[in-house]
Amino acid sequence: MSPADVVPSSPHPVTPAIALRGLTKTFGETVAVRDLDLTVPTGALYGVIGPNGAGKTTAIRMMLSILMPDRGTLNVLGRASALEAKDRIGYLPEERGLYKKMRVGAFLTYMAQLKGDDDPDLPRRVRQWLERVGLAEVERKRCEELSKGMQQKVQFLAAVIHRPDLLVLDEPFSGLDPVNQRLIRELVRDEHRRGATVLFSTHVMVHAEQLCDHVVMIHRGAKVLDDEIANIRARFDPRSLLFEPFNPGADVQVLAALPGVSRLNRDGGSWELMLSPGADPAAVIGAVAARLTPARIEVRRPTLEDVFVNIVTADAGDSEAAALRAAVRDPAGVESEVRS
Amino acid sequence: MKKMLLIAKREFLATAGTRAFIIGTLATPVMMGVLIFVMPRMLQKGPPKVEGQVAMIDPTGQVTSGLQAYLRPEEIAKRRQGDFRKMQEAMPPALRTTGGGAGVPQAAVDQAFRTALGEVPRLQIVSLDPGADVEAAKRPLAAVPSKDLAGTERLVLVVVHPDAVVRAAGKDQFGSYDLFVRGKLDDRVVTEINDGMHDAVVGARMRLSGLDPKQIDAITQVERVKSRTVTASGENDTNRFMNQIMPFALMALLLTSVLMSGSYLLTTMVEEKSNRVVEVLLSAVSPMELMAGKILGQLVVGLLVLALYLGLGLMALISFASLGMLDPLLIVYLLVFFLLAYVSVGAFMAAIGSAVNEMREAQGLMMPVMIVLMVPWLMWMPISRDPNSLFAIVLSFVPALGSFVMMLRLASPTPPALWQTLLAVVVGAGGAYASMWFAAKVFRIGLLMYGKPPSFATLVRWARTG
Repeated sequence: MSPADVVPSSPHPVTPAIALRGLTKTFGETVAVRDLDLTVPTGALYGVIGPNGAGKTTAIRMMLSILMPDRGTLNVLGRASALEAKDRIGYLPEERGLYKKMRVGAFLTYMAQLKGDDDPDLPRRVRQWLERVGLAEVERKRCEELSKGMQQKVQFLAAVIHRPDLLVLDEPFSGLDPVNQRLIRELVRDEHRRGATVLFSTHVMVHAEQLCDHVVMIHRGAKVLDDEIANIRARFDPRSLLFEPFNPGADVQVLAALPGVSRLNRDGGSWELMLSPGADPAAVIGAVAARLTPARIEVRRPTLEDVFVNIVTADAGDSEAAALRAAVRDPAGVESEVRS
Repeated sequence: MKKMLLIAKREFLATAGTRAFIIGTLATPVMMGVLIFVMPRMLQKGPPKVEGQVAMIDPTGQVTSGLQAYLRPEEIAKRRQGDFRKMQEAMPPALRTTGGGAGVPQAAVDQAFRTALGEVPRLQIVSLDPGADVEAAKRPLAAVPSKDLAGTERLVLVVVHPDAVVRAAGKDQFGSYDLFVRGKLDDRVVTEINDGMHDAVVGARMRLSGLDPKQIDAITQVERVKSRTVTASGENDTNRFMNQIMPFALMALLLTSVLMSGSYLLTTMVEEKSNRVVEVLLSAVSPMELMAGKILGQLVVGLLVLALYLGLGLMALISFASLGMLDPLLIVYLLVFFLLAYVSVGAFMAAIGSAVNEMREAQGLMMPVMIVLMVPWLMWMPISRDPNSLFAIVLSFVPALGSFVMMLRLASPTPPALWQTLLAVVVGAGGAYASMWFAAKVFRIGLLMYGKPPSFATLVRWARTG
């Protein structure tokens, strides 16, 4: 599928939190973002995915008016520029930092005040947030005294402390261990439940699968996919079964002759049974189980990684597909939690 | 506006609240304060009273009486009063603390006199036998001081050479004398004895040559007078302090404050960028708000430094009862030109700080600023000597530099015409605006630029295209 084939879906009828039209940004000869159209409905949880260097951060910086686009228009929270709605936006940049010498409580208070939060109850809210992320004891500590993981949690709190209507998170999970990834994921979900529109970017597809309703894929500055996760799964269903025989020495090739099976591929220690057009997966599973006792048999579901690689390597060779696949996997390993 | 003030407040507290600032900025005024206020009070106690014997071995028999007369306490007191008077006359009128003038009680004069010149020593001349053994005569000098002998101990031994007054046969030169003193003797006593020996020996030589020492003294005396400066507004004593020190002090004060706050601005900007905190800030405020807040915060730091040093200077002037020598209008000018110079230099520093990733990279880009800040140091003397030269006038209208030059000129005895001052303010304001414009352009682009540091030409390109 080419970028031209992408048709943005807009299932949310309410006013969009973000609306970008034809946004383009170049740095010298490099086109970082090319004709980006994007609509993020109010209250949605969107993931912007793509490998490193795809243009995600540049697109986000333009959305927030940190960078000015060369071309195109944008509307954020009903304003023509995010500058006019900064106080309603929470932002966790990819390149994030803290004032090293500042105390944690003072830093969070300062960031909230910069976002126009004059709530007299702010110090109590700061303490509550710190308690919630397990950092109650560091309120009076200087930021430089915190571990890297603690600093990342404080940075996240700085983005949400003022209860933003729009939360933009650029690679929020990078550098976090699995436990803290889970914590941040829960906090993002909480913010979403509170009513905030959430848009986050990641180059690790599994993160998007675990968290989002809707994903936007960017590759080489251009949008290549913009759809609900469920729709994507339906559109890119590989129509195959994953099978592992109970007896490793069993003759699996006999399954190729079963009705509804068009082809059999070896996939590491497993086998992939490609289904014929119109075949019922449940019937084929029954037939397979009757023929060979399975250790594992399931309908294969497409991952975003598969979809992404499928889209961008339609005309590429295997080596390029392998390189892209490596670029969108989490190097630290992601929890294998399946989102219900 | 509110966000800008929040940034300014944090910037001020993050700079002025650090131990480094408190020690670095306050230590100098405190040390100066100690020197100006505490040290003189400690010195008021003066050296311990000196009382004891001056032993003389005078084979000529001509010198002892002269030294005895010279060291009489009343003679020493008279000479010291004369020295004090000369000292006072050498000072500008405003700095003359005493002198028995109107409203100054004699007791205060005496106190000031004692403070300035110390207690008059009580020295008793003891003539030893001309043939006395010098080594034996020296021995009491090394004896341990004893309370029982206080006031009668030998402090000094003077051994006059036999040919000190009359030349030895076949010699062109006169002889001299040897001086032996007790350890830790006040050096002012040694000076008194040396001076006394000079007078006594020369007097003896003159008498023996048939000359009248008083007449020779009168012939060789020419009173040194003070010059008077004649200007269109009248005639005054030439005041060297006012002519050179005051303009320099005000210019140095201006330069120090601007340089200090500008440097802090550069440092905090580079820190925020290298800490990667800048993008978080940009999600909350616009680049202009960020830059203006930071410049405002450091402006207050600069004003604090200025106020500290200026306050110290004023206290020093009050302490010396000479506050009247500072025209209050100069303080107003100082504030105005500080504002103009700081904004011009500070905005530039902020722009450089936003463009680099670490302090080392800022060095090359700082060169134009440092050249501007070096010029006042280099040009201080020629401008002070001729504050209304064409050179000084032209420099007054160079943006940023003009503030420092105008301070030198305004504090001089012949300040520039009002139109020049006003024009310098207008030009300075224009320069400050241009600097802010340049900084805003560079700031917006530079803040999110990482990697290879830009050259100065790149900064100019950013400003043109930004």
